[in-house]
Amino acid sequence: MAEPALTLRHFFERARAGQLTAVRCRECGELAIPPKELCPACYERAWEPVPLGGEGTIASYTVIRVAPRAFMADAPYAVAAVKLREGVSILGRIVDLPLERLAVGLAVRFRPIVRDSQTAIGFGPA
Amino acid sequence: MRRVAVIGVGVTKFGKHERTSSELFAEAAADALADAEISADRVQALYYGNVVGSETEHQLHTGPQAASILGIPAIPTTRFEAACASSHAAFRHAVMEVGAGVSDVVLVGGAERVLNVATPDSTEYFAYASDAVWEQTLGLTFPGVFALIARAHMQKYGTTEEQMAAVAVKNHKHGALNPKAQFQKEITLEQVLKSAYVADPLKLYDCCPFTDGGAAVVLASEEVARKSRRPVWVLASAAASDWMLLGDKRDLSRVPATERAAALAYKQAGLAPTDVDVVELHDCFTIAEIVATEGLGLFEPGAGGRAAEKGMTSLGGRVPVNPSGGLKAKGHPIGATGAAQIAEIVTQLRGDAGPRQVNRARTGLTHTLGGNTATVLVSLFGRG
Repeated sequence: MAEPALTLRHFFERARAGQLTAVRCRECGELAIPPKELCPACYERAWEPVPLGGEGTIASYTVIRVAPRAFMADAPYAVAAVKLREGVSILGRIVDLPLERLAVGLAVRFRPIVRDSQTAIGFGPA
Repeated sequence: MRRVAVIGVGVTKFGKHERTSSELFAEAAADALADAEISADRVQALYYGNVVGSETEHQLHTGPQAASILGIPAIPTTRFEAACASSHAAFRHAVMEVGAGVSDVVLVGGAERVLNVATPDSTEYFAYASDAVWEQTLGLTFPGVFALIARAHMQKYGTTEEQMAAVAVKNHKHGALNPKAQFQKEITLEQVLKSAYVADPLKLYDCCPFTDGGAAVVLASEEVARKSRRPVWVLASAAASDWMLLGDKRDLSRVPATERAAALAYKQAGLAPTDVDVVELHDCFTIAEIVATEGLGLFEPGAGGRAAEKGMTSLGGRVPVNPSGGLKAKGHPIGATGAAQIAEIVTQLRGDAGPRQVNRARTGLTHTLGGNTATVLVSLFGRG
């Protein structure tokens, strides 16, 4: 079988360049992020990558004050569940937003967090 | 399936120990065998839960290690890793082995050792149960996961920090009655509300502690159980899962895996939530107890916070939840937790719980959750 429509490596290469990408099922139109092998709605295996706008709103958030060892220097920092405009949701680290401004419903925009070879999902001001 | 019963239980003191996890399991297992009044040579298999042994003890292969330290090395052993639900997952599979007629006597249990490492390290190791690519890279912690759930629940239903604090106060009150509990002291609502934020809106006293400990139960077929002193029957044991990633969940205020596992368990047992007299559920954080009481059908979605505040889940309330003190006060040695919850329900149904005894307890439920709510086990037990 051919390589998936969007491997994790491809996803993060695009994310690193500032582009958030989902996959859409060519059979039923289901949108998924991160990519999955089978469509959870129709179980087909017919994905195509689709670029997302990167805009969304905070559905829930937390300020982490007791951090894992690798993140101790960053604390306190915020992590949010973001509902993207296209309807799918993803977790991301909040960047460039004062912690006291955070609120459910606040508009945010995708911002990759690049640390050495690792890219993580981030969201900053809209 | 054949009927299956729990005929013996054993739990170590929960807290900080200087012994390895396998030693802690062995103590609990020997106690469980003694309680069952059954010789160790009757045990045909071990189903074992242990989670962060690789990280805190540099130890894989903990199944045979645990059996060896107990002194019964020859039996088949299987280690289960389902994050904090590990030994409850082990229990369900052991029930299937005995129920299927493969074995007549099976030992189930688990153990964990984490207080030998510093909090930033244990916080990191526990976070390994969230997704390495999508969640650990954000610095997401387990208090963080349940803080996201808490805020969603507060937003949707108006649940308050005071209602969450009421869960902590109640579980500490229960834990004060349990000589095996890590924390045997009562706390006030004010203490909870004034404690430092760990992951807003969750504060220190909303969180269960890190704990060392072991727990074990002896499972037997009906034929063996009928000859035992005080069997407690397994009426159902069900499991369900959900998306691994929190971001894939449509509604963070609910735990679909709890709702699915509960529906399966009630159906297996032919029971309804109103039939349950006593519950041991997964209160790793106060909000987790509130959401679990809703997912198990004990209260309507959104009503769990008010129910806790009104004392409906306290000893003497409508449906006592976590008479042991729960994970919050009894402690949470993650690999042992499911087996320890089962041990408490068996103790309650036998009428052996002393000052924390739930009156007229005939039917009990255990609920254990693993990871970002991706694994849930629900079992039901009865005296008759």
